[in-house]
Amino acid sequence: MNRPGCSAPVPPITLLEYWLGELDETAEAQLEEHLLGCSNCAGQLQALVELDHGVRKLVQRGRLRGVFTDALPKRLAEGGLHVREYRVPRDGSVHCTIAPDDDVVVARLEVPLADVRQLDLLVLSTEGQGHERLERVPFNASESEVVVVPSADLLRSLPVSTMRMQLIAVEHGSDRLIGEYTFNHTPWAQLQK
Amino acid sequence: MLTLAYPSGVESDSYASALDDAEPDDAVLARRIAAAGPGLAAAAEAELYRRLAPRVRLYGLKHLRERHAAADLAQQVLLMTIERLRAGQVREPERLASYVLGMCRMVVLDLQRTHARHERLLGTFAHDLSGEQPASTPHLDDASLLRCLERLPERERSILVMTFYDDRQAREVATDLGISEGNVRVIRHRGLERLRECMNGHEAAP
Repeated sequence: MNRPGCSAPVPPITLLEYWLGELDETAEAQLEEHLLGCSNCAGQLQALVELDHGVRKLVQRGRLRGVFTDALPKRLAEGGLHVREYRVPRDGSVHCTIAPDDDVVVARLEVPLADVRQLDLLVLSTEGQGHERLERVPFNASESEVVVVPSADLLRSLPVSTMRMQLIAVEHGSDRLIGEYTFNHTPWAQLQK
Repeated sequence: MLTLAYPSGVESDSYASALDDAEPDDAVLARRIAAAGPGLAAAAEAELYRRLAPRVRLYGLKHLRERHAAADLAQQVLLMTIERLRAGQVREPERLASYVLGMCRMVVLDLQRTHARHERLLGTFAHDLSGEQPASTPHLDDASLLRCLERLPERERSILVMTFYDDRQAREVATDLGISEGNVRVIRHRGLERLRECMNGHEAAP
């Protein structure tokens, strides 16, 4: 965005590259001199840093759902978060819950991915309350698993219920079901009775 | 020892008159400080401090990755800068940013050494402090950020989260995902633009 008061506004993506340490030494030094002399671009960087911290906070509080790879739950655990994991075999099922001290719940869906180019995730409730299709979810073909992180807020609000997930390989515009997973959820409090 | 006593809340005549220009640039403020006697350009010093402090704090966050250390950096660098401006030791006020950058580099090295000692102490007492969470970001609306992230296409959201969670570079995210670094950069760029648009009040169109 072009901002008044700056003759050479720095694009946000360059600010991100700077923040992540992706710029070479010369480019970084030039940008730092600019940032120290320019309130407008420094303000843009500040906004980016707030986004960065905001995303981290949402992840740490288990509020953000998503599909990731093995690397993220590893780093969450290394960061001191309490991560509850369920490994679900292909076409298998699991009994699951979320405990009061769990920060994040992770479902590892086992599936062969070697020949898959595009992967969609279908989330269905067995009570016929509709479904959600997440298109082009990220995966690492060499890992043979898809890592799903549901919203911890959502899990805590669920009654005894069953949820299914399907992994669908999309090939030449048509769908191929490559794995189905069933989650039998029981609220933590009921498990303690 | 350098002291900075600036008016708060009430603008004195001298404070207002020192800022006659509608928006003097940093170099103008630096020259005013250098031209006046020590402590006689209080308004210019206050204004320069107000402008530079957030910029230097950002530099500190980038290099020290810790809010308190960044705040320490800003304070040390700006006090030294104003002290040297007062003493006429800044030869090219029009290149003040370059001068401040040099000061930042010097002080960061010093703070990193201090921080290393602090980390060793923290390691000793980590079990007592493990419940502490990073302070919240005051300006960002969490609900809006969550809503905007939820609206992103799955791959863009995942790559942004993998990037931001612990400041992973594109090549690291690419390794995690088994795709090219260029691909990560493209998706990351697109996701960041959509997220910013949404946070600025425009809808994120998938």
